[in-house]
Amino acid sequence: MTTVNPSAIRVHVDGVSKRFAHRVKGEIYAARDVRLEVRPGEFLTLLGPSGCGKTTTLRMIAGFETPDAGRIRFDGQDITDMPANQRNIGFVFQNYALFPHLPVFENVAYGLRVRGLAGAAIEERVGEVLALVGLAGYEHQFSGQLSGGEQQRVALARAIVIRPRVLLFDEPLSNLDAKLRVQMRQEIRDLQSRLAITTVYVTHDQEEAMAVSDRIAVMNQGRVVQEGTAQDLYHRPASQFVAQFVGRVNLLPGRILDIVDGTGRIAALGSMIVARSIPPGSAVGDAVRLIVRPEAIEVVRDRGGSETLLATVLSHAFLGEKTEYVIRCADELLQAVRYNAGMGGIIPDGETVGLRFADDAVTVLPEHAS
Amino acid sequence: MTFSALALWALLAIFVVYPLAMLLARMVVDHGALTTGAIAKVLSDRHQIRAFWNSLLLASVVGVVGTSLGFLFAFAASRCRLPRPLLTAIDAAVLLPLVSPPFTTAIAMIFSFGPRGLITYDLLGIKGYTVYGFTSTLLSEALTYFPIAYLTLRPVISAIDSNIEAMALSLGASRWRVFRTTTLPLCIPGLANAFLLLFAASLADFATPLILAGNSFPVLPTQAFLQITGLFDLRGGAALSFMLLLPALIVFLLQRYWVSRRYYVTVTGKGAGQTPFDSVAPGARATLLAACALIALVIVYFYALLLYASLVVALGANHAPTLQHYRTIFTDGLKAIRDTLIIAGFAMPLGGLYGVVLGYLVTRKRIPGGRSMEAVSMINYALPGTIVGIAYLIAFNEPPLVLTGTALIIIACYIFRYGPTGIRATVALLQQIDKSLEEASQGLGAGSATTFRRVTLPLILPAFFAGLGVVFIRSMTAISATIFLVSISWTLITVKILENITELSLGPAAAFSVLVVVIVFVVIALIGLALRRFRAVGAVPMTSLLGG
Repeated sequence: MTTVNPSAIRVHVDGVSKRFAHRVKGEIYAARDVRLEVRPGEFLTLLGPSGCGKTTTLRMIAGFETPDAGRIRFDGQDITDMPANQRNIGFVFQNYALFPHLPVFENVAYGLRVRGLAGAAIEERVGEVLALVGLAGYEHQFSGQLSGGEQQRVALARAIVIRPRVLLFDEPLSNLDAKLRVQMRQEIRDLQSRLAITTVYVTHDQEEAMAVSDRIAVMNQGRVVQEGTAQDLYHRPASQFVAQFVGRVNLLPGRILDIVDGTGRIAALGSMIVARSIPPGSAVGDAVRLIVRPEAIEVVRDRGGSETLLATVLSHAFLGEKTEYVIRCADELLQAVRYNAGMGGIIPDGETVGLRFADDAVTVLPEHAS
Repeated sequence: MTFSALALWALLAIFVVYPLAMLLARMVVDHGALTTGAIAKVLSDRHQIRAFWNSLLLASVVGVVGTSLGFLFAFAASRCRLPRPLLTAIDAAVLLPLVSPPFTTAIAMIFSFGPRGLITYDLLGIKGYTVYGFTSTLLSEALTYFPIAYLTLRPVISAIDSNIEAMALSLGASRWRVFRTTTLPLCIPGLANAFLLLFAASLADFATPLILAGNSFPVLPTQAFLQITGLFDLRGGAALSFMLLLPALIVFLLQRYWVSRRYYVTVTGKGAGQTPFDSVAPGARATLLAACALIALVIVYFYALLLYASLVVALGANHAPTLQHYRTIFTDGLKAIRDTLIIAGFAMPLGGLYGVVLGYLVTRKRIPGGRSMEAVSMINYALPGTIVGIAYLIAFNEPPLVLTGTALIIIACYIFRYGPTGIRATVALLQQIDKSLEEASQGLGAGSATTFRRVTLPLILPAFFAGLGVVFIRSMTAISATIFLVSISWTLITVKILENITELSLGPAAAFSVLVVVIVFVVIALIGLALRRFRAVGAVPMTSLLGG
């Protein structure tokens, strides 16, 4: 949100539900009491595994689906029953949905022609937008002649040229190869920041979500399970599902030994681990789950020092900038990561090492919080 | 492999190339000298020239009307979210004209709109109404052939990614504008294809104009028939049928080499599981469905009328119920029924086999002249039946190969005229099946014979059954080519129906038609059962093969 767009609007998704008939399971909820608020100019991402209801929610915001319950509001105005063609939205599909019978120029001009703009104005605005997405000179090409990245840019240009109130993306990068995906997501993010159009973006790729979003709403089984910035979700997951879905994680069983001023000592891994964030309402003796990110585990080769736990390296994978280890510690298998500064320094399999946890790197969840 | 290729080439030479060459020769060679007499005579005859233009006019209008009807049905079926049973009902009503003998709608038209027609005479009280002419022929042909357009267009419309329409809608376009600017343009190649198919079908149609066109509206196929059977002028008939060749050829080439390349590829990774949004407004949906229901009702009414006519003494005069007509066809007509079944019984397996073998050889084995073999095999299929019939009549009437009067000539005609459906189905199926499947089998140690038996054959079984079905159906219902090939010894039900109509014994004609429809439906059902029995995955539905 680097630029302020005075006309950017606020989107409310207010307790929206949508049911579908399912061939095997009968009636299923694609979305169940979904509540979201997207602030003006904000980039909000719906993140979740396939079938979690994120696309259905997006399509309801677009007007391609009608909710069975709940309301959707644009700047306070109830648009739940407004047809898609009156909502003034820009939608980017996973498969781009370019009109195959129209050249690039006409694809982008489509929404302007619908709005009855004069020829000169259309030419000016299409030219501007094509330049913005780096496709000046492609006006007469057909979608079949474009690469995946270029098709993606046309789809983007077509969505923004109408100056929509809301930009909606449905997994726009999943048909691109890995390198292009990283480049395009940066371009989308930059463009969105510059235009400051309120944006809802759907993806199942947590890295992509973290890279582009102001805020992320994680969805599972039709519900929003946690909302927050990428850092919130990563470091303070509210559930095991979020912890496991966003990034890689070690989940360890433990028991609270004592709590002093919000800092707890927890029995885990046959030893004692200190954690700063104890869930409110916890009591001494409660069973808990410790959430430790692989990079928060410090692996030390000289295993002196009193705070280290003894562990054994089982296997490792050299990935260039880092090496991933699988380590056994008190019958638990842990994932750990060490960054490589140069040749050598890789711990051989079978070596006994010491483990150390940073205090604020450990999140504690109640045992039952799945 | 080489042996079967040679055998196929020999068969194609005898039953496709040779008759056509003889037809041409008969036209331009007279007593050993080249002459343009026959063609010149036809071209100078104003009556025949009119027949030529009439044929083109009829074919064009049938093409437009039939394509519109087909589009209406296809659009309703793929975009109106119809419940399953309703879709099945539409498919069944639409299938009826495709599996009927050629005169059924024509007879029903006469029953309804003829001089003593149920609608014109009994209902409206019009006396002396002439049913014969352009309008009736057009209506009858449009109703008979629009299912081809429906079957061609339905997959085209269904394949359009509904996200494209959703996109247009989200850009602010109204539903009507979405239809006009995205759906319709994306259908244009399909529409062109449907039009060409209907044009060709109408151009070649012999039965309907023979019954309904009357003297006021002569068309080429019937003129050629009358020239030969009425005036015994084989050369003139040949020249007339030859005039059909040019437009038929143009249409075939356009369809095969121009339209087929213009399909917009809308293959997408997603979309398939996506529920389409409501692309049709409720009011428009109701209108569409009402129009479809009306047309389906007309078809059902025609067939109900046919059934009724076969069960009363004389429709329009005496409505007392009787089984007399069925008694007639199973006594006087028994020979025709038996002959037809024997001929169809031989043509079906041979035609099915021919289609699969040729299709397999040209796609999977590098045989000499594979591509041209496929092209040659399509000739009899693409040509109007009248031309093929006259060519066979000329070619096999004199040495070296005298087949006139035998069942073999009719069977051969069916195999080489309708077997190509099986060829196309086989080629299409094999192109979808990755060669790596066969390579995987060989990699696991199977020889090429085992591979063919265990892998390839089960995969192309649907095409074999499709070939069987089409050859059988056409053997039961075709007339345009075989009318020239029947004899005292071997005759056909369709020819018998024609005789009945010309003798104005419409009751037996109706009974025969009902019988054919029943037999064909039973056989289609049996083939469907066999397909399921063999668990043929990815089987092409039978109906989709009747279109081409």
